[in-house]
Amino acid sequence: MKLLTKTTVYFLLIMLPVFTAGAFYLFHKFNKEIKHETDEELVNDQLEWLRYLDTAHIDNPIFRFNTQEFQLTPTDKPVQKKYKLKGVHLYQETEDAQAPFRELSQVISIHGQNYQMVLRKSMIEKDDLLKNIIHVMLIAFGGLLCFVVISNWFISRNMWRPFYRSLDKIRQLQLNKMETPDFPQTPTHEFNQLNEALNQMTARIHQDYINMKELTEDAAHEMQTPLAITQSKLELLLQDENLSEEQLKNIGQTSEELQRLSRLNHNLLLLAKIENQQYPFTERPDLHQVIAKYLSLFEELIREKELNIETSLVPTAPWPLHPALADIMISNLLGNAIKYNYPEGHIQITLTTNTFTISNTSSLPEIPAANVFQRFKKNDQGYSNSNGLGLAIVKKIGESYHIRISYQYRNGLHIFTASC
Amino acid sequence: MKVLIIEDEPSLRNSIREYLEHQGFICEVAADFREAMDKVTDYEYDCIVADIGLPLGSGLDIIRELKVLKSKAGIIIISAKDSLEDKLGGLELGADDYLTKPFHLSELNARINALLRRKNFDGNTSITFFEITIIPSSKTVLVHDKSITLTGKEYQLLLYFIANQHRVVTKSALAGHLWGDAYDQAGSYDFIYTHIKNLRKKMLEAGGEDYIKTVYGTGYRFG
Repeated sequence: MKLLTKTTVYFLLIMLPVFTAGAFYLFHKFNKEIKHETDEELVNDQLEWLRYLDTAHIDNPIFRFNTQEFQLTPTDKPVQKKYKLKGVHLYQETEDAQAPFRELSQVISIHGQNYQMVLRKSMIEKDDLLKNIIHVMLIAFGGLLCFVVISNWFISRNMWRPFYRSLDKIRQLQLNKMETPDFPQTPTHEFNQLNEALNQMTARIHQDYINMKELTEDAAHEMQTPLAITQSKLELLLQDENLSEEQLKNIGQTSEELQRLSRLNHNLLLLAKIENQQYPFTERPDLHQVIAKYLSLFEELIREKELNIETSLVPTAPWPLHPALADIMISNLLGNAIKYNYPEGHIQITLTTNTFTISNTSSLPEIPAANVFQRFKKNDQGYSNSNGLGLAIVKKIGESYHIRISYQYRNGLHIFTASC
Repeated sequence: MKVLIIEDEPSLRNSIREYLEHQGFICEVAADFREAMDKVTDYEYDCIVADIGLPLGSGLDIIRELKVLKSKAGIIIISAKDSLEDKLGGLELGADDYLTKPFHLSELNARINALLRRKNFDGNTSITFFEITIIPSSKTVLVHDKSITLTGKEYQLLLYFIANQHRVVTKSALAGHLWGDAYDQAGSYDFIYTHIKNLRKKMLEAGGEDYIKTVYGTGYRFG
């Protein structure tokens, strides 16, 4: 929920009960006031009536009035000193409904004759009153709300502008761009504090990033150089015509092991770089083309093992990956499918716009789920060429680019799926 | 053919020099940035093999200087840095090739040969080894003046052998040359044997001599 929406909703949640309580209070207050006024009028009327009846002619017959407003009927009840006031409901013919009235009643004596006198006054209907009050309240409430929301919007927009600016900067932050964002001073104290913290934080992250990048590159340099020297020395040594077969073989094997070491080093650095997000992607490589490239590159290997390859590929599948990493992902998965296959085995490759599946037959058992993407967990000791990093790199690429990599073993098939 | 080797590691520098001199190149060496700058400004070279990380400066500045001097020398960068930016940076400046350490000397040699062919003769020259003649512009191979048909890989293999004649080349160097970075995905180098067998057969059928000798457990020697 946006900040502005949130403040508005909270405002509404607080204001709603306040306004309701206000409406009820007003309703009661008005009701009481009206009752009080009506009663005063009734008492007033009674005084008038009494005065009039007192002056009525002595020989008058017995009075008998009967209207809703005024009743005067003879009675045997004893004279009451004090009048009684109460609220009653009377049937209104015109509206076909009960209407509220205030009633004043008293037994009085006129020229020795006792009369029951009743005076009534209609009251504004409570429903109408309530309706009117709610109506007024709604208009006031609505107007106030509109005003608050609009002014809130304007104030918020201005006040939160530096915040959103900082947010934008953080969002666009790319460490590999080799620049630290600068969060500027704002007129708001809190935002200044936030920006200051952000400045410190990004500077620190940026420094860490540079250190890490330098470390991996320096490590590469420091390790690859002695490897290169040893490699070249061995290659020169191989040229000696006086070497025995056994010596040649030993040099050859040493050279092989050295290459393995170099590949291992290379792959570890690659892992570090992927983890370090040093591969931003600007263009989306077409995975179909990458697959086609590696199928033709591995053609000899496939032919050598007489593998049967079935493909079902969509013509274009632009994936959100760095092109170099798309190459690595496909070559590692396809390379594995070839390497761990048996002669005349099968490989099935399926590519849709957002999933890539490769399954292969193999004489190897299912890889335990815990080991499949682990570093240095080799599936088979027989392949000295493997350094156990291929799948770990694929997994790491997946993690860094929001591509889900999964492994399944079904009907003797090893199935790897990548989906974005 | 004059080659300048700019490399600060003495052992590696000497190995490269020894290997290239054996293949018939005249080699000069430079151990740091200043020495290298002096040499490139004073002399002409056909090819310059330059390390990027040098004492006193960067190999990239040497490439810049060479471009200012409008040098015709082919430039091959050798570097332990293998990040994409480094490679692209070097190639954008005008380097012709980029080789990541550690590399095979035979691979460096083959790349220098290919570069010189492209640079100096636009590929319009033939390479002759006894009865074998290769015309790179048309990728034609003649044995006793008779054309033989080779596959792409066999052709590359032959070129590699001729560039590194009389030298032992390892199977992994061959695999690396023909299949690039992806070759370590291969379970074995057996598939190279098939290509060698086919190449040998085609040359023998055309009446050529068998120049490919297997060096037990290691690789092959041509010539």
